Amino acid sequence: MADIDRWLLPEGIEEVFPEKARQLEAMRRALLDLFDSWGYDLVMPPMVEFLDALKTGLGQDLDLQTFKLTDQLTGRLMGLRADMTPQVARIESHYIKREAPVRLCYLGPVLRTRPGVFGGSREPLQMGAELFGHVGVQSDVEIVHLLITALELIGIPAPNLGIGHVGIYRELVNESQLEADTEEVLFDALRRKSKPDVQAFLTASKLGDDYKRMFAGLIDLNGEVAEFGVAQAALSVAGPKVQAALQNLEQVIALAAKTLPGLKLYYDLADLRGYRYHTGMVFSAYVAGYGEAIANGGRYDAIGEAFGRARPATGFSADLRILLRMLVDKDVSGIGILAPEDGDSALIEKIQSLRGSGERVIRALPGVADAIMTCCCDRKLEKQDNCWQVVPL
Amino acid sequence: MLQTLTIALSKGRIFKESLPLLKAADIVPVDDPDTSRKLILDTNQTNIKLVIIRAADVPTYVRFGAADLGIVGKDVLMEFEGDGLYELVDLKIARCRMMVAEPETLAKNDDLGRWSRLRIATKYVNIARRFFSAKGIQTEIIKLYGSMELAPLAGLSDRIVDLVDTGNTLRANKLVEVEHIADISSRLVANTASMRMKHQIVKDVVKQIEQAVG
Repeated sequence: MADIDRWLLPEGIEEVFPEKARQLEAMRRALLDLFDSWGYDLVMPPMVEFLDALKTGLGQDLDLQTFKLTDQLTGRLMGLRADMTPQVARIESHYIKREAPVRLCYLGPVLRTRPGVFGGSREPLQMGAELFGHVGVQSDVEIVHLLITALELIGIPAPNLGIGHVGIYRELVNESQLEADTEEVLFDALRRKSKPDVQAFLTASKLGDDYKRMFAGLIDLNGEVAEFGVAQAALSVAGPKVQAALQNLEQVIALAAKTLPGLKLYYDLADLRGYRYHTGMVFSAYVAGYGEAIANGGRYDAIGEAFGRARPATGFSADLRILLRMLVDKDVSGIGILAPEDGDSALIEKIQSLRGSGERVIRALPGVADAIMTCCCDRKLEKQDNCWQVVPL
Repeated sequence: MLQTLTIALSKGRIFKESLPLLKAADIVPVDDPDTSRKLILDTNQTNIKLVIIRAADVPTYVRFGAADLGIVGKDVLMEFEGDGLYELVDLKIARCRMMVAEPETLAKNDDLGRWSRLRIATKYVNIARRFFSAKGIQTEIIKLYGSMELAPLAGLSDRIVDLVDTGNTLRANKLVEVEHIADISSRLVANTASMRMKHQIVKDVVKQIEQAVG
């Protein structure tokens, strides 16, 4: 290995240098304080778990994304967490056995075997909040509200929200009795909003005309929520379960618009992200100039079943590293106070009291020129009239 | 504020055939793309720009949001690894077929049911791999960047996977089409975030182009 390769990090792994780290940590603390003030308890799931547990429930799709190693104590396979949401669901259903709704939040690194197509990071810093134990639009909207508040708090400008409901497509499939293997073809075409592919599928299928029309229509059923009536009209002949899903989505939209009057809302009935584990409304946040959602979430009822307790749940998660990229760099240099290398006990007291009040005091070191030290300070401690004073550099 | 829109177009034939469709949506490049060396072309609409790039780069530009819309062949989309693009409209331009072809001499006694361990030369590695593995056929795929027809003649491979338009090049090189993989035409693709953030202008343009296609 050439010398130059030695300090190169693996692809998709990055380190964070002082200015960014300071900004990132400020963001992390602000977010955790926010979650706490909303009554969301912090949990810290482990970095490593037995693979079986990681893959249960929510984690089915994560097999390929999970780094694996053998536990030398049991011979069992362990996985490094690729997503904390399944872990939090496990903790909730297994250890926190309250009947009342449970609000949990988490923040920490996860590891992925492959870099994201977009961010390129294999070590996202995942943050999220989940609300367990309540079925209804109120909890869905609370999660949306919390996400938007969190994004605004850290300075993400004017996030937009895309909102959908996987129940509409799922119930249409159930009602029309599409077979699972053919349904996959339709699902794939719808996900890509490929009209020609959906049309080709429908032409070849034996579905009734009403269903053909409704499935084909799903692609165009997106737009400003003010036009949601178009979607309801287009699906008016669908059965009661589809109607219930539509009504649920309408209520979520209405309550979200009322709770967050300034928020730009956009609905999309063919938004089938996370279709395998989501059961109700799904949403994604977008900002101008970034070609992909910066946060995702939605309802995933009955996920705890695999861990022995089926609980309704709704939540969101986002990667702090991506959010950090959206923010303008803050200049955080030059904010310290330089203290001389030696001095009396009064100096030590003064330093202590300044640090206690939140100031950053940096001690000069012997043999190091002040010029070097002053690079990270804007003021200094100086003895005037027998008393230590903070003066500009 | 007027929303801006960037449309990525594939160089060459697709670009030429796209122009009438864009014109139907009242988008006309101001600079002459044949003489201008600009990579970003202004249009008659100040908020709409065109970028002319290699076909294989179009999905990347759109996927990452560097362009909001793109016009690209289905072959490139099938070969593109990442998903996360909306393929809104079949533009029905630049039509051709993705085929497996082999030398006439081989085709005479060839039994498709007994194919195994094929040597395939192609530019479309992913498409070829997917097609043959779906049929349960082992392949050795040789990636080439052009003139696929030469490969069987030069003994580099037994068969090729390539786009066929008129079939003249195949015939001239004594190759015949033996398997049809897909019909290819150009698609209008959209970035998923632009669909939401700029849906008014995206929807308008898409609708006009869709009508022009008929």
